[in-house]
Amino acid sequence: MKDLEPETPFEINDYIRLEQMPHFLCPGCGHGIALRALLWAVHELQIDKDKLAVVSGIGCSGRLSAYIDANTFHTTHGRPLAFATGLALARPDLHVIVITGDGDSLAIGGNHLIHACRRNLNLTCMMLNNEIYGMTGGQVSPTTSSNRYTTTTPAGNTEPVFDACALASAAGASFVGREVTMQVTGLKNLMRGAIEHHGFSFVEVISDCTEIYGRKNDLGMSPEMMLSQKATMRPEAYRNTVDVPFRPNALECGVLTQKDRPEYGSAYREMTANLRAKGKQHG
Amino acid sequence: MVEKRNGPTNVLIVGVGGQGVIMVSKVLAQLCQNHGYEVKQSEVHGMAKRGGGVFSHVRYGSAVWSPTIPEGEADVLLALEWAEALRWINFMNPDTGTFIADTQRIVPPFACRARGRGEEAGYAPQTPEEIMAQVRAGYAIDATSMAEDLGNLKAANTVLLGALSTTLEFPVEDWLEVIRGFVPPHSIDINMAAFAAGREWAQAGDKRVEESAKGLHKADVELQQQVITKLEITEEWCKGCDICVKMCPERCLRLNEQLVAELPDPSKCTGCRMCEWLCPDFAIKITNTPVLEAAE
Amino acid sequence: MANRVNLQGNQACALGAIAAGCTFYGGYPITPSSEVAEAMARELPKVGGTFIQMEDEIASMGAVVGASMGGVKAMTATSGPGFSLKQENLGYACGAEIPCVIVNVMRGGPSTGMPTRPAQGDVMQARWGTHGDHPIIVLTPASVSECYTETIRAFDLTEQLRVPVIVLIDEVIGHLVETVDLDDLTPQTTVSRKFADTPVEGFEPYAVTEDMIPPFPRPGDGYRSHTTGLTHMPNGFPTQNPAKAEAALTRTTDKLVLHKDLIEFCQLIECAGADLVIVAIGISARAAEQAVRDLRGQGVNVGLFRPLTLWPFPETTLKAAVQGAKAVLVPEMNQGQMVLEVERLMAGDLPVHALNKIDGEAITPSEIAAKVKEVL
Repeated sequence: MKDLEPETPFEINDYIRLEQMPHFLCPGCGHGIALRALLWAVHELQIDKDKLAVVSGIGCSGRLSAYIDANTFHTTHGRPLAFATGLALARPDLHVIVITGDGDSLAIGGNHLIHACRRNLNLTCMMLNNEIYGMTGGQVSPTTSSNRYTTTTPAGNTEPVFDACALASAAGASFVGREVTMQVTGLKNLMRGAIEHHGFSFVEVISDCTEIYGRKNDLGMSPEMMLSQKATMRPEAYRNTVDVPFRPNALECGVLTQKDRPEYGSAYREMTANLRAKGKQHG
Repeated sequence: MVEKRNGPTNVLIVGVGGQGVIMVSKVLAQLCQNHGYEVKQSEVHGMAKRGGGVFSHVRYGSAVWSPTIPEGEADVLLALEWAEALRWINFMNPDTGTFIADTQRIVPPFACRARGRGEEAGYAPQTPEEIMAQVRAGYAIDATSMAEDLGNLKAANTVLLGALSTTLEFPVEDWLEVIRGFVPPHSIDINMAAFAAGREWAQAGDKRVEESAKGLHKADVELQQQVITKLEITEEWCKGCDICVKMCPERCLRLNEQLVAELPDPSKCTGCRMCEWLCPDFAIKITNTPVLEAAE
Repeated sequence: MANRVNLQGNQACALGAIAAGCTFYGGYPITPSSEVAEAMARELPKVGGTFIQMEDEIASMGAVVGASMGGVKAMTATSGPGFSLKQENLGYACGAEIPCVIVNVMRGGPSTGMPTRPAQGDVMQARWGTHGDHPIIVLTPASVSECYTETIRAFDLTEQLRVPVIVLIDEVIGHLVETVDLDDLTPQTTVSRKFADTPVEGFEPYAVTEDMIPPFPRPGDGYRSHTTGLTHMPNGFPTQNPAKAEAALTRTTDKLVLHKDLIEFCQLIECAGADLVIVAIGISARAAEQAVRDLRGQGVNVGLFRPLTLWPFPETTLKAAVQGAKAVLVPEMNQGQMVLEVERLMAGDLPVHALNKIDGEAITPSEIAAKVKEVL
């Protein structure tokens, strides 16, 4: 982490479009907490809002971009990483952050996700995983837990679940992390690490959909869902502790993968600069 | 000096995790063994971690049967922390016992009953003067400050050993030899100095009290700054999700009849910001203004 | 200094793009358009631009729109199935008014169809491929030099009007090699979009201006505006208010009506006093031109109307061109797509005949001449 502390304390109203508030999310939706963590990280890194570009897809997560006081792009379903790839390559001076959801990035946009991981372009991808297609009315998603009821799994979900972080790591993402919304400062620090990372960074935020997922599955209201999500997580500090054998199914939190790989945009620009230099020599 | 009696001599050493209670008791046990006594040392420290209570019983004599000191029979109570000294004071023999305690106060988290920043902790209120008036002989010594002045506050336990050495019959050279064997080589000099300082301080009389201004644990004094907390709720943004109400460690928020969060008693809010950070609707804002700034 | 080279139509599209100031290409390999990508991969680094081969057709369209949202001139190229896949993000560019150029080299369809065979089956897909009512401009070069010049024009139009422009060529034109003089064809100036330069305070990214083209807020210039595929108000944020939604949608289509003269471009060959006017594009237009020459030699009064801007269709120009004619013939390599538009415009005033071919072969001049004789 950079030893850089902003002089002013974080004030969320400096980073949101006040005229668009209150936002449209349901009561207790974890996406709002994730948005705070993201903007908090942006504040701590002292990123100029004019140089911040937020690209989002479709779904509840996709709507978040509209509330951020930055250059925001609400694109098509599953494609924010594709748009962001073009934007980041065309404008390397911008900080490009992608906000996506579990359906957006793992189902319809799965191809873009794995190739973004492989390519390692300098992008930050924050995936809000609430295990459900919320905006369309609560259909099963690639991350819906087993046996959970959704409008398209009326007898319980029988499909296995995607481990988004394992997928991203396997596809080559050079920074992968996971955090629950309950740990908002931990999430902020994780987002900060992800934005600072030079290359493709992927953060899975375990968010809660109370209204149409929690309710249907008797998971309690937001506070209960948040606490139970936290309880199923293994914090980074417990990574190599006695906790591991006792809770083999706990999801690992914190930074899961961090490695040095050539960043695509810099590598491409270096290559083209060399080509132009050679071209000039030869005449 | 501890009077010779039939049966073993009992030294109860107490403190909190991380201070060196075990090291002190090991030094004493080794010393006794070197002098041909039978020694029994028993301790409880497993669950203490750093900051939790630790105690160690050391008994020595020609024959020792039980490893623990019965209540009221300790010849010396050596405490590395003030509240721990008070907790164990009834183990000391009221007629013959010697009380040696560091006046250093380490406030345990659970003593922070008043949750506001800068509020008084629920720490033992008895002053060293009051306690010293009740005991037959003893020393309330600011060993931590003495050690710190010598260059390393970790040597506070050796200062106390120096004070202890005035109450037991072993020669000074033997004490020093054992201590040398127990401390890391690079800190031998400072421990020698600490022992000498503690011994010299205690030799000045049978009862002595000295408490410096640094009597409270450092972390407490420096981190806690009293603040005036203001909690503002943007009612139009609140959707009544209940997160702030359920997550507040002080349970001081509630939903009103319109299902909007409210703070009925602002004095209960400690300004911890949990509700602000977890509000998905950005409807809560906490401002903590340091009291000094507010006065200006 | 002459710069005469032998070029393929696809390559000419790429060089035209470079000449127009394109600095971003996102593509995906597909026959018969791959030469556009190959040429761009070679040429873009020379001008400091960026070429990227994306993971799929959808992503390449997304990347192109994304790059253009960053303020640079961007292009992609594809063919039939790929063009279908690009439609959603193309629709986004239409709705959010993001400039971009798409070269679509038409091949036999539907589905995989005949990848190496020519067709003109995307006339309607180019116009109506993406869902919803939307503005779009489609240009139809019929030669290698026109591939070059029309791609440049495509960039000028897309940048000036903030409407996606499709360069619609068939496989024959795409793979045709002709000698062209690039210096002759390269214009002195090219057009870039109008970037917002008004005060940030109160700026509206989709404000209704006199020319109906809102200035483009470049990221980094301080406007911090919102771009969305949702129907939006002048301030860029979504609305479902009926009046506001209709106003927003009609502005984007009315914009093209307002700038009709800038967009429309046709070639009229011997239409004056013609008994029959042939309406054709691409390779079919070249065959028709030969047929016109042959038939005129035989004393048959025919003319050719060639819309280089296919969509929006140059209605008034066509209506003027067919004054005095007795019939209209539309030869095209599909089962009758452009003919529907021509029939609509003639609306019973003139008989409209179709000559259709979907066998993967180009229409020949003699086939057209025979049809003309048949209907006259």
